Amino acid sequence: MRRLIGDILLPRATAIALWAWVAFNLALVGWVGIQSLKDSGEVWLDPFGLPKTLRWDNFSSAWQAAEFSAAAMNSVVLTLFGSAMIVAVSAPAAYVLARSSRRVAGHAINYFAIGLSIPIQTILVPIVVIKLSVYSFMEDWVTGWWDNRITLLVFQVALSVPFAVFVLTGYMRSLPHEIEEAAEIDGAGPLRAFIQVIVPVARPGLTTVLVLNVMGLWNETLLALLIAPLPEERNLPAALLGLYSSMQYSSDWGGMFAGIVILVYPMIVLYIWLGRRIVDGMTAGISR
Amino acid sequence: MKTYERAFWPFLLPALLVYTLLFVAPSLFGIWVGFTKWSGPGSEMTWRGLDNYVALLHNEVFTTAFTNTFVMATVGGILIFGSTFLAMVVLRQLKGRAFIRAVVFLPMVISIIAIGAAVGFLLNPEGAVNTVLEWIGLDPQPWLGPDMVFRCIVGGLVWSSTGFYVALMMSAADAIPTHVYEDAQLIGATKWEQFRHITLPLTWDVFAVAAVLWVVGSLKIFDIVLAFTTAGTAAAPPIPARTIAVQQYIVVKGAGLPDLGSAAAMGVMTLLVTAVLIVLTRRITRRDRVELS
Repeated sequence: MRRLIGDILLPRATAIALWAWVAFNLALVGWVGIQSLKDSGEVWLDPFGLPKTLRWDNFSSAWQAAEFSAAAMNSVVLTLFGSAMIVAVSAPAAYVLARSSRRVAGHAINYFAIGLSIPIQTILVPIVVIKLSVYSFMEDWVTGWWDNRITLLVFQVALSVPFAVFVLTGYMRSLPHEIEEAAEIDGAGPLRAFIQVIVPVARPGLTTVLVLNVMGLWNETLLALLIAPLPEERNLPAALLGLYSSMQYSSDWGGMFAGIVILVYPMIVLYIWLGRRIVDGMTAGISR
Repeated sequence: MKTYERAFWPFLLPALLVYTLLFVAPSLFGIWVGFTKWSGPGSEMTWRGLDNYVALLHNEVFTTAFTNTFVMATVGGILIFGSTFLAMVVLRQLKGRAFIRAVVFLPMVISIIAIGAAVGFLLNPEGAVNTVLEWIGLDPQPWLGPDMVFRCIVGGLVWSSTGFYVALMMSAADAIPTHVYEDAQLIGATKWEQFRHITLPLTWDVFAVAAVLWVVGSLKIFDIVLAFTTAGTAAAPPIPARTIAVQQYIVVKGAGLPDLGSAAAMGVMTLLVTAVLIVLTRRITRRDRVELS
């Protein structure tokens, strides 16, 4: 009996459930792609059939509706700049924190770790207040204009720094100490030594953190809705939400699925390309 | 002097300043706002002491959101870790395990808004799921109606988050040497017993961290509620489906003068609950470390 349950029934059932789960995930991703190529009538009436003709124009209509083109541009710029800035700010800090024997380094690591457990809700109201104040301050006194997307970028970076510093400190600790000696003999200044010696060696870890942040920023919703909600300044998730909530008036279902594909497929391509490393990076920083 | 000691402050300062000025200081300001009545820059700020908190505890909409968040954290957590443990029983030897782990993780990289839009399409009153139910002679259900949407959200949450914890726990399980399992097989331990007496004790430390991560993450649940309840309308999510984060967003973004003091108090309460739950989770998961000799 014990053998029947523990060795056969339970493992078999679990294995079947796991494969069903896999099939569901793959089917969902594929189905969204197929739906995006049907005309809106077919999407609705024949949701599991193949498209009769391939309606690539869904993508151009989604691109124009709900200002998806602007949103895509915003998402690309915010994601690339944001994740590059996060790594540029965090990597040097993580490096000295991992290496230094000063007592203050330990305190600083703990100080950054606090940021990991502060929920975003604690800082939500201040963010809105700062967004409004910065906007009117810059417009009235400094530049005469301001763009909320800059505020969004800055806060996305600030809120991601603790996690990046935390993970990279752990990673930098695992690097061999010999690498600095090469730099020291070279007589290079700290910044040059860092860029020319440390960064190339630490590249796998830096790439992982970069990609993790690309995915995080690309899918960012709450901050985007809060700081930059207008049609011309919002990012892709906010635009898709806008498109989705207008469906009952426009009924452009093919266009909506095209919008989903524009939001989802780039990340899936990135995941297929760098998958193993992403999973390792996400889990390694934590389990260490 | 070593390069990294010379460069200590110049290298550390940018990150330290960004984090302090744009994260820590605003958080402290948020705690301050929680004790006031305020509707934003330009309006008068008056001290209210603990009144915001008292008012919140008597506000039925907020207590519902609070309970919802708590239920999502506990029920969702039990389902997620239950599924993760089951997966761990078989994932060590199953054929195609690397593929399963990769695909199960997939929802983590997909925007939850996109998932909500796609799944919402299927769960619509006249959507595909109900059509299938009618074919096989069952009653169609109002999946995304106020009564059932909460359960659908928890389901969506479990589906989209479990892969991450499977990856996390399995990366710890990978480090267990195979000879331990071979010995266990020799004395006739079943797969379940191998999990129960080998895998679980040896990955318990990672589970303790994972549980804290889930608790912290679950208190921020926001996007998935919006994604599942927006279904064709621009209205605010129905009260039975709201979480604290959603409720706070509605107060901040709502029409008229926002009650920022109350919204900030919600943020502080989330912070406190997070702290309490972290301590509780740590205590529940605390055990003597098991190590292979």
